[in-house]
Amino acid sequence: MAITQTVSSGKKRRIRGDGAWGYAFIAVALLGYALFTAYPVISAFFISFQEYKPLGSEYVGFDNYSATFRDPLFWKSIRNTIVYTILTVPVALALSFAIAILILPLKKRLQTTFKAIYYLPVVASGVAMSVVWLWIFDPLPAGIFNRLISIVGAPNQNWLGASGTAMFSLVIMAWLSSHGASIIIYLAALLGVDESYYEAADLDGATFLQKLWHIVIPFLKPTTLFLLVTGVIGSFQVFQNAYLMTGGGPDNATTMVGLLIFNNAFKYFEYGKAAAQSLVLALLIAGISMFQFKFLGKDVEY
Amino acid sequence: MTRKAQVLASVLALTVSMTALAACSSNNKNNGASPGGSQSPSGSASADAGSSGGKDTITALLPPVSSGFQDRFEQISKDFNAKYPNLTLKIEPASWEDMTQKLDTQVNAGSPPDIAFIGSDGISKYLQQGMLMDITDAVDSNTYDDFDQAPIAYMKKGEGLYGFPAYMEVHALGGNRQFLEDAGIDWKKVQKEGWTFDEFREAIHKGVVKDGDVTKRYGFVFANSGVTSRDYLNILIKNAGMPSAFTTDLKYAYTSKNFLEVLKDVRLLIDDGSMPKELGSIDAGKRWNMFLTGQTMITGKGLATFENSANKNNEKIDANDGSAVKGSIKVDYIVLPVPTFLGQPPMSSTVVDGYVTFRGKKEPTPEHKANIVKAAYFLASGQVAATTNNELFAAHITQSGRKAAESMTVNRNPDNVAAVETLLSHASPARPDIPVELGAKSIKLEDEVIIPKMQALLANEIKPEDMYEAVKAAAIKTFGEDGVVKD
Repeated sequence: MAITQTVSSGKKRRIRGDGAWGYAFIAVALLGYALFTAYPVISAFFISFQEYKPLGSEYVGFDNYSATFRDPLFWKSIRNTIVYTILTVPVALALSFAIAILILPLKKRLQTTFKAIYYLPVVASGVAMSVVWLWIFDPLPAGIFNRLISIVGAPNQNWLGASGTAMFSLVIMAWLSSHGASIIIYLAALLGVDESYYEAADLDGATFLQKLWHIVIPFLKPTTLFLLVTGVIGSFQVFQNAYLMTGGGPDNATTMVGLLIFNNAFKYFEYGKAAAQSLVLALLIAGISMFQFKFLGKDVEY
Repeated sequence: MTRKAQVLASVLALTVSMTALAACSSNNKNNGASPGGSQSPSGSASADAGSSGGKDTITALLPPVSSGFQDRFEQISKDFNAKYPNLTLKIEPASWEDMTQKLDTQVNAGSPPDIAFIGSDGISKYLQQGMLMDITDAVDSNTYDDFDQAPIAYMKKGEGLYGFPAYMEVHALGGNRQFLEDAGIDWKKVQKEGWTFDEFREAIHKGVVKDGDVTKRYGFVFANSGVTSRDYLNILIKNAGMPSAFTTDLKYAYTSKNFLEVLKDVRLLIDDGSMPKELGSIDAGKRWNMFLTGQTMITGKGLATFENSANKNNEKIDANDGSAVKGSIKVDYIVLPVPTFLGQPPMSSTVVDGYVTFRGKKEPTPEHKANIVKAAYFLASGQVAATTNNELFAAHITQSGRKAAESMTVNRNPDNVAAVETLLSHASPARPDIPVELGAKSIKLEDEVIIPKMQALLANEIKPEDMYEAVKAAAIKTFGEDGVVKD
């Protein structure tokens, strides 16, 4: 009895005291999450079982899900998305890591300058960036890439207009832009590695590559795992580049699942089907993320 | 944290929360009626209007239809209010880029504007959502008869009328007069009598100029990047005996053998070297640039307003104005018809855009409906239409518009005016008889099969036969064996 009273009064004390203030302070964030994340997800779940119409939706059971799984375009878009992810995420991580390593020894002011330069594409408008890239991928001989490859005698390429090069063009675009955030995160992690490890390695006569392999990479494993998981999630949700650069063409060679969902929702007003596809995508992303944490995060300590 | 600071922080947190809630709540209220303060059928002002012809506000979402259109919004609203003192026309401007997104968002929230300027081909989409307002019973015969019958038919679906047309433009081709004459093409004869595919093929091949292996000028360049390939294919197949996706007995037409023949001809023009092999990546801006810089003899699609654009660029070149298109030459723009295929009669592809009438979640009152009709008619006829269509070099399609335009002067090539009239005389007729569901299926088949396969055909990745078989298979899957043309 006495124990129960103690626990009970303890709870009350926590809620009335600092705990209550804590809840008050996170109320705004919680409200924002509830309104703009939780509610849309729950709403999408219900819409996925409906044929949505503004004047009254109709319950259609699992029709939207079965239509999704029977749609060859859905599977093609999933395949395109996986190919895009495999080609972009590891290279993006390697590039970010390499650039961070190159920036690390520089003086602080120079470091900041490089960080700003690499972060610039992140803050630039995606539409404006796409216009520049469309210019770079101009299919006529005047296009920048076509001029570049003509130096080595390669023929003119229809970069975004041919199935063989359209996906690769989007991959090049991903390789050469938007590493700013990853570079900054890697740099922060690199700065967190204690100098004493390098000093000890120097005393043992370790080479640069040995230090990289035995000190830097193990220390940066949590960072790499974080960037890998968020990179894969971002890549599965990719939409803007395909929408602005190729529209998913040619012959749906660059139709990513995000673009397919957008088209179903906003082009054909098939919100039910789009909601079903987005939930399938969410489950897929959750599955891949769990897999990554389970098999790659075994010996990661935070 | 001191007691004072804790209280202050809590008050701040609560204030922000309440602001967010208030904003959402306020939005919900607006969504219940019409955006931008419109007093929609569900609004109180409309109810007043319903009983006494009282005050009412009509909202319109309008893009920059012509160069000076949006600058005149204030004057248009004033003139409307002067004519109907109890009514207010509230115009929300939108860019062409934002137009669809803004409208779709409002439609899906159940609170669209009363009037929106869209293409008549968008009527099926919004009608399927149940968000269009049939104004048939609110339009008197004087209003209806003011419009030419061909364009107003495009605003119908089934028995319903869903707005008024602003213009009916023909999708033609545009030629550079100097280059046409250099290639020995009698363009005046072509304007009057048209040309067959074989004549066209020969003509554009004559227009090609090469420097060694490098093509300096193509005979013909049509925008085909992304969905613009839809326009290219559509204007061609209309002239191959398929004026619509459905025959008069509602069978899907693009399974006809004629469709395959057009696809073969599409490849021929590229394989001849008369069109660039990168055609599938050339967008509307690029091909217009190629036309103005002398990189092509003929371009497409061509709208009447392109003559105006070419004239303006010519003036800039004359005035040594730096804003002229870089590297451009003076161009005398010539309207040309699309060639005909397989001995079929010419059939012009047209675009009819107009003021489409929407409804909110609640049934509109008869009075509000009548007021929307007044506003839509005001925008689509008389002085407003005359000024806008003159800026576009578009033909007038209302008697009141023609009358208002009598006092206005337009600097147009009379040969082009006559050519457009000839093309409009065999414009493809509207098909209000095609059920909305059938039309929607056809659009999806076009988006998911025809356009992607067309892009692959242009990139020379598939053969015309492959595309034809893919379209045929998809059509049979969508409409059934008995729902498609077999010839």
